Amino acid sequence: MNSDLILVIVVATALAFDFTNGFHDTANVVATSISTGAARPQVAIGMASLLNFVGAFISISVAATVANDVVDAAVITPTVVFAGLIGAIAWNLITWSFGLPSSSSHALIGGVVGSAVAAAGFDAVIGEGLVGKVLIPAVIAPILALTVAAVAIGLVYRIVGRQRPGMVTRGFRYGQLVSGGMLALAHGTNDAQKTMGVITLALIANGSLGPSADPPLWVIVSSAAAIALGTYSGGWRIIRTTGTRIIKMDAAQGFSAQGAGAAVILASTHFGFPLSTTHVINGGVMGAGAGKRVSAVRWGVAGNIVTAWLLTLPAAAAIGALAYGATAIFGSGALGPVLVSLASLSLIVVVFARRSRRGAPVPAA
Amino acid sequence: MTAVVVETKELAQTIVASVVAGVGITVVFSIAIWGVARFADFSRADRPLAAGAAAALVGLALAATLGAVVFGVVVMTRK
Repeated sequence: MNSDLILVIVVATALAFDFTNGFHDTANVVATSISTGAARPQVAIGMASLLNFVGAFISISVAATVANDVVDAAVITPTVVFAGLIGAIAWNLITWSFGLPSSSSHALIGGVVGSAVAAAGFDAVIGEGLVGKVLIPAVIAPILALTVAAVAIGLVYRIVGRQRPGMVTRGFRYGQLVSGGMLALAHGTNDAQKTMGVITLALIANGSLGPSADPPLWVIVSSAAAIALGTYSGGWRIIRTTGTRIIKMDAAQGFSAQGAGAAVILASTHFGFPLSTTHVINGGVMGAGAGKRVSAVRWGVAGNIVTAWLLTLPAAAAIGALAYGATAIFGSGALGPVLVSLASLSLIVVVFARRSRRGAPVPAA
Repeated sequence: MTAVVVETKELAQTIVASVVAGVGITVVFSIAIWGVARFADFSRADRPLAAGAAAALVGLALAATLGAVVFGVVVMTRK
């Protein structure tokens, strides 16, 4: 009975994380399209939401369970996963409240690392996995996307620079509908799997599924629905940062940023070197600005974003560890997760209600 | 040490493919837009041959763009 209740809580928390993932990462997909006027905000978000839903069905590779390479599998219990998810959700909401785009995958990894350390000590962390799968890709992703977008926008201006601006802008706006769609599909494919993986692992740990079972249909559908619903809810604060505060973007820059972002994400997917969507698209936006003129990028805003990226792992880990500690106070039963869930939910409702009143749609350029 | 921790072959492939695909798709689509603009100019100037060549270039560039999109979807499904 206790283990079933913990399982239900883990599943609900995983879906809540999936929602915040979609909500938080909406900006990755739609910010450039909205800020260049390629699509109206509600249309862009509706399309991104639909494509995130579809993307979640394209691949169900449970190997995408991100924490596997970073934390010793033997210490992962439903309670560790639960506390890790709390850490990830909390960090997603904190960065959202400051309008800072940060990686939901890194927040999840950080949360699970923190709760695993709280449960079993630092030996639970696989150092090589953390460096090779998380830290080095985190450095490479934005630099690679920045370079690709900067080179691309330089060539674009050479090719279309002497043509009539109205026609060029219209053309790139149409192009952005496609490149934005590709980003949304890739995001749904990559990110909904994390939740599917977490829920499937919890079901396996509980004995509800066999050791090598695929995710059941209800897990796939609920994960797809949660990320799509989160995307549809739209994190306006981060959309404003990515779309208008890093650079003032024209349609060619928007297309270059999205094209570079989609190419980097798909290439990394194809060759098995996964990179964060958030790091890639924000690096692409910076590159599209710097390729035109280095001073076109508001480096102060870019610095704040990079600071959030640097803080994501340790901050989510600290919250995950605290959540595990608070849960463990009440023993190994369901009481701890129930109380921590209720406390977290109350905090989230308060923060959401206070902050969301101040978020407003971004005007088109 | 770094080579052990990082999958260097996958990293190198990712970097090369990202640069080629990211720059390539942007340039190809820009050529399509350039072609549309030139097609309009040539049509107004009553130069049908040049306009036809521009239209053919637009067709090729858009086909290449569409091919890249289809390839991207295939990459996602084969993950």
